[in-house]
Amino acid sequence: MLQRPATPDRVPGYNLEPPLESDAVASLQRVFGAERGSVVWNDACRAAGLFAGRIDSVEYLRRVAVALGKSGGAAASIARSIEIRINTYVRLAARASTTAGARA
Amino acid sequence: MMHPDPLHDAARLQEISDLGLLSSDIDPILQDVADRAAASLGLPVSLVSVVLDEALHVAGSHGITGLWLDDVKGHPVEWSFCATSVRTREDFVVEDARLDDYHSTNPLVTQDGVRCYAGVPLISSRGNVLGNLCVVGMEERTFSADEMELLRGLAVEAVQRIEARARGHD
Repeated sequence: MLQRPATPDRVPGYNLEPPLESDAVASLQRVFGAERGSVVWNDACRAAGLFAGRIDSVEYLRRVAVALGKSGGAAASIARSIEIRINTYVRLAARASTTAGARA
Repeated sequence: MMHPDPLHDAARLQEISDLGLLSSDIDPILQDVADRAAASLGLPVSLVSVVLDEALHVAGSHGITGLWLDDVKGHPVEWSFCATSVRTREDFVVEDARLDDYHSTNPLVTQDGVRCYAGVPLISSRGNVLGNLCVVGMEERTFSADEMELLRGLAVEAVQRIEARARGHD
């Protein structure tokens, strides 16, 4: 599993970093416990056609979140959380990039 | 002994899903409640928030058209004023966010200009706090007891209507 880089791509002003696979797994483990949380994550990765431990982009993370959402119940609430954190990061990073470009 | 954070309670998150509150589409019932809350208190923004484990999900809203919040329909939970009510099960009021210990550094305050907030919990008949009905302003403001009572009434109505819908009665 990829770890957060030493200098992550923070969104200026919002101090927001891109969500990682390790964040999503930790979310599931906080709610379901360590063992079941890992199982739920592995199942969602498999359903998304991806390999747990190799979710190394926001787009892959989004695909797993969609698969997780289809499992329903509390997992669907966690999936929506992951999606919102992804979408917030992508939206604000794009705006920051546009603003920086306009200044250049 | 540490008490578990209600935000991470599996039964609460399960009920949110069971009540059909996770759609990124506008919820017409909660939209109506948000519109009436904003109009009644004369504030520019009202949200019906569903507080998830790590994010706030906007299920109904008034006054956020054109803002990034409307595109995302939510934000990280650490920026959420509404999460406080999920933890305390009580109303939460911030008259001037610039003076609030926690929220004075909240990006919604420092970057987006939020100044005042009043929220009341949405408590289901099972006893879970699903989220909040809140109003938000860009100027500091006090909130009267009558205004809070009005918000509490709308919050009760919102829960009754979404529970009735889930039972197929709305």
